[in-house]
Amino acid sequence: MNDVVNSSAGHPGTVNAAGVSIKDLRKSYGTNEVLKGISLDVKPGEVVCLIGPSGSGKSTLLRCVNLLEQPNKGAIHVGGFEATDADVDIDKMRRKVGMVFQQFNLFPHLDAKRNCSIAQVKVLKRSQAEADKVSMHNLERVGLGHLADRFPDQLSGGQQQRVAIARALSMDPELMLFDEPTSALDPETVGDVLSVMRNLAKEGMTMLVVTHEMGFAREVADRVVFMDGGVVVEEGVAEQVISAPTQARTKEFLRRVLDPTHIEIEE
Amino acid sequence: MAMTARQRARVSLYVQAGIFIVAVAALILATDWKTIGNSVFNFGKIGPMFPGIFTTGLVNTLIYTVLGFIVGLSGGLLLALMKLSSFPLYRWIATGYIEFFRGVPALLVFIAFGYGVPLAFGVQWNVTIIVMVSLGIVASAYIAETLRAGLQAVPKGQLEAARSLGMPQWRAMVTIVIPQAFKIVLPPLTNEVILLTKDSSLIYVLGLTASQYELTKFGRDGISSLGAGLTPLLVAGAFYLIITIPLSLLARKFESRSARTKR
Repeated sequence: MNDVVNSSAGHPGTVNAAGVSIKDLRKSYGTNEVLKGISLDVKPGEVVCLIGPSGSGKSTLLRCVNLLEQPNKGAIHVGGFEATDADVDIDKMRRKVGMVFQQFNLFPHLDAKRNCSIAQVKVLKRSQAEADKVSMHNLERVGLGHLADRFPDQLSGGQQQRVAIARALSMDPELMLFDEPTSALDPETVGDVLSVMRNLAKEGMTMLVVTHEMGFAREVADRVVFMDGGVVVEEGVAEQVISAPTQARTKEFLRRVLDPTHIEIEE
Repeated sequence: MAMTARQRARVSLYVQAGIFIVAVAALILATDWKTIGNSVFNFGKIGPMFPGIFTTGLVNTLIYTVLGFIVGLSGGLLLALMKLSSFPLYRWIATGYIEFFRGVPALLVFIAFGYGVPLAFGVQWNVTIIVMVSLGIVASAYIAETLRAGLQAVPKGQLEAARSLGMPQWRAMVTIVIPQAFKIVLPPLTNEVILLTKDSSLIYVLGLTASQYELTKFGRDGISSLGAGLTPLLVAGAFYLIITIPLSLLARKFESRSARTKR
């Protein structure tokens, strides 16, 4: 399994990418089991989209990877770390793992540049000047260099989400987790965020993306994983899973997502 | 004699205003103005209160309040974090402390500290320290509840974002959560300072020496020495308003500012 995790990046690029290996992951809230034995490998530099109906466990799975949720059973390897080891240095591991949230979660009391630099200074112990340089580089990378002095409440949703991506990138992560990054956005700003993510994929970043954007998944993802009821129902090459699914549940889900106006309401 | 709804409302307002005017008039007629003039508004005899009430009374009230607030804020922050801790023992201690000191009168706490601590431990603290600690102990119980509410008002995603960037729990709290919580609690915290200013009037029970007099003690002292009746207390009350009204305006300003922007 460590071959998968540590083998060198498949894509050429500037990114030092890590892989993820998930084995038989189980997670319950009380008696409600939301992950019922998930196994999933993401190779370094690979982009994997998690799709599925709400409540299928895909966000929980993503949050288990950087331990925002504590799994009950199973093993997760991220880069050189075993996340499920009780002795793992969580903070050290999380520096390698960028997280982008549905609600952005920018720090409202800091401007865009300080949002990007604060953890560099406090966690990576970079000087403020060096951190500012890295922050500016990443803000320019997401097309927002000119808005570095703005506070989050002065930015649109799409701009905030791009700052959030720049903030994660400023820690030089080897893996990026995206938890429905465009679900809270106005439709006209979705495209900017997706194009930033597309560029990131091209640079060879390992990406695990929970999304409802089927067009993005089809175009950018190397693989698509369809989850329902806490299990992986179907996975494979993006084009094949989305255009020619083999499982009935996948077909039903895609029919609802891709053509929502032609759904007949069932009793 | 049918009235429209609007006419009925107007008549009702006239009746309320009439009752109010009659009540005030009755009060004025019933008052013994000659006595009141001698014993409450007798400003001719209060000269000796100045400038002491300013240089000693007001200054000491401010010093006691600020010292009490510093202890109360540090203690309150500690208690608020304990109350939100995942470790049950911390939660129980904090809850017990807060419920106890919010439940007993501040006056009893001051007496306990002024007379109980020296008896119990055989130590003789100077008055400033006793005042600071006892005011701080009472204030921290109230401030803790205010801060806890503020900490809980910071969205959970803020802590998650900070932790996801590799910040340890304490660092995420200090750098991300607590600064935001403080902005949220600034108006209620200013109100705590107002309450504390008034609570500092109770420390006269500790038996202050002349240079330690705060406003209320200064006023009480004036009652017995000046022969102007209760007038010195009226003056002391005016000095409290000089402190509390600006604070009150400040709290309102913080409130409208935080309503305008979340930043």
